[in-house]
Amino acid sequence: MKIEISATEYLSLVRSGSISVEEFIAKTLDHVHSIEPRLRAYITLDADNALDKARSIDKKMRTGEKVGSLLGIPVSIKDNICTAGIRTTCASRMLENFVAPYDATVVSRLRQEDAIIIGKVNLDEFAMGSTTEFSCFGPSRNPWNTDYVPGGSSGGSGVSVSAYECIISLGSDTGGSVRSPASFCSVVGLKPTYGLVSRYGLISYSNSIEQIGPLGRKVEDVALALNVIAGHDLRDGTTSSGAKIDYVADIGDGIEGKKIGIIKQMMGEGVDGEVISATESAIARFQELGAECVPISLDAVEHSVAAYYTIASAEASSNLARYDNLRYGYDFASEGYEFKAYVSKARSRFGPEVTRRMLLGAFVLSAGYYGKYYLKAQKVREMIKSQIENAFNSVDFLVTPTMPILPFRIGEKIEDPLTLYLLDINTITANLAGIPAISVPMAFSSSNLPIGIQILANSFEEKDLLKAAYALEQTTNLPGVKI
Amino acid sequence: MVDRKEIAHLGDLVKVEIDEPEKYIHQVDEILKYFEGLDSVEFQSYKSVQKEISYEDLREDTCEEFLVDGKPLIESLKRDQNNFVRAPKMI
Repeated sequence: MKIEISATEYLSLVRSGSISVEEFIAKTLDHVHSIEPRLRAYITLDADNALDKARSIDKKMRTGEKVGSLLGIPVSIKDNICTAGIRTTCASRMLENFVAPYDATVVSRLRQEDAIIIGKVNLDEFAMGSTTEFSCFGPSRNPWNTDYVPGGSSGGSGVSVSAYECIISLGSDTGGSVRSPASFCSVVGLKPTYGLVSRYGLISYSNSIEQIGPLGRKVEDVALALNVIAGHDLRDGTTSSGAKIDYVADIGDGIEGKKIGIIKQMMGEGVDGEVISATESAIARFQELGAECVPISLDAVEHSVAAYYTIASAEASSNLARYDNLRYGYDFASEGYEFKAYVSKARSRFGPEVTRRMLLGAFVLSAGYYGKYYLKAQKVREMIKSQIENAFNSVDFLVTPTMPILPFRIGEKIEDPLTLYLLDINTITANLAGIPAISVPMAFSSSNLPIGIQILANSFEEKDLLKAAYALEQTTNLPGVKI
Repeated sequence: MVDRKEIAHLGDLVKVEIDEPEKYIHQVDEILKYFEGLDSVEFQSYKSVQKEISYEDLREDTCEEFLVDGKPLIESLKRDQNNFVRAPKMI
């Protein structure tokens, strides 16, 4: 029995009785145990419960009871998404033993459809970073070359999917955190429209821009996961109440007659030559599939990194103010401390990137600077939204490289936060504008490192976006990672 | 220019004891200088982002019991041996 299969292949093998859920989960767990010392995708494994759940699904199938549509598919969950009974650490020493008292809505929905949660996966602390190097548990490693970063912040999600440690993973994407590891690990990653997926139970970092999104080895797997997690939630007032859509149906419709805009500002200076070649190759494939590709200019992109980090840092400093270590947290007695001294001491457990962003957030919100930074950042955000709306008046999709450069060595850029921030330039536009975007594996560099292509669509156009991604995927014949 | 005093002040605002302010001075300063690029943007009629939700779209605010393993949530809190949530002295 192979574990290197897609979600759709898995469902058909389980349905036909060719494999049992228990067999598949047991084999996946054996594989995880053997490979984790090298990759470090998981923070917490929930092996015993996963096997129990697998047996109960097999039993339900044997006795003809109703079984959820995901039939025991092994799933990993980014460790900033709450799971009742499994600790949720945010890869932070502030929460290293925190067990949430409830499931996030996305987790409840997966469980209702009988997905099996194998465990919780690594991230940059509180999802702030793009490499997983800022995790208090240490970095995850890129399965294509373990000396290299896997992208981030949902790096554990990208690694676990790429290296067959699960079939589907849920990540969160504030500025590219699903798409960056998808690109660096050669898997598919979707950032849905703001409001399509509930954020209830996602530990807040920057509420106005973040979304939970699925990663899978195939576009169809991501569509299948989206079918389960998307939809209105009374517990998240920002979710849309639109009708339920089947994202898998008609996914093979193709993109003939569609018009695609290539964002000029994301194809020029600072972009690796091999990344440009891969993007040009994607454009040629789209044309062969019957789409028309035209260059398009979004000049507000020039200011998007400054606007994004101003807004995200401001929201982070506000959101993280709640961690005072009093009602939950780690063991640190308060005797002998005055209130503020205690809280400040307790909070010195935050790692360097989280601390840096809180300092930046406090600065841009402080009296005298609010108008200079925060207000202007909000105006740039509106400018980007407006330019994106204009663009979608003339094209159906926008296309860019997902990441401007190839995966790089662990430790290479960790002391240079501004350089790391600038790597988000292609992904943050979708977050600031609230639109959906997907990263699809496209090619490998001469050094055998993955390159992904990003496709963006207008708000709530995920169905068409997935069709375009599927069409592109059919033109590639990329190998899976050799483990 | 961000200096040691500014980092200490920001640390005070976000309630984090900064052991090594030097570690942050250069990086925070460099990032804020980059943010200053926002000053050069020429805005036309762009307004700040505001989303309106009508009152009718809000859900009813009802009280629901929230149990963890059959027990009230308050029992999940970090408590001392006397069953109190203990906080440091305020004054």
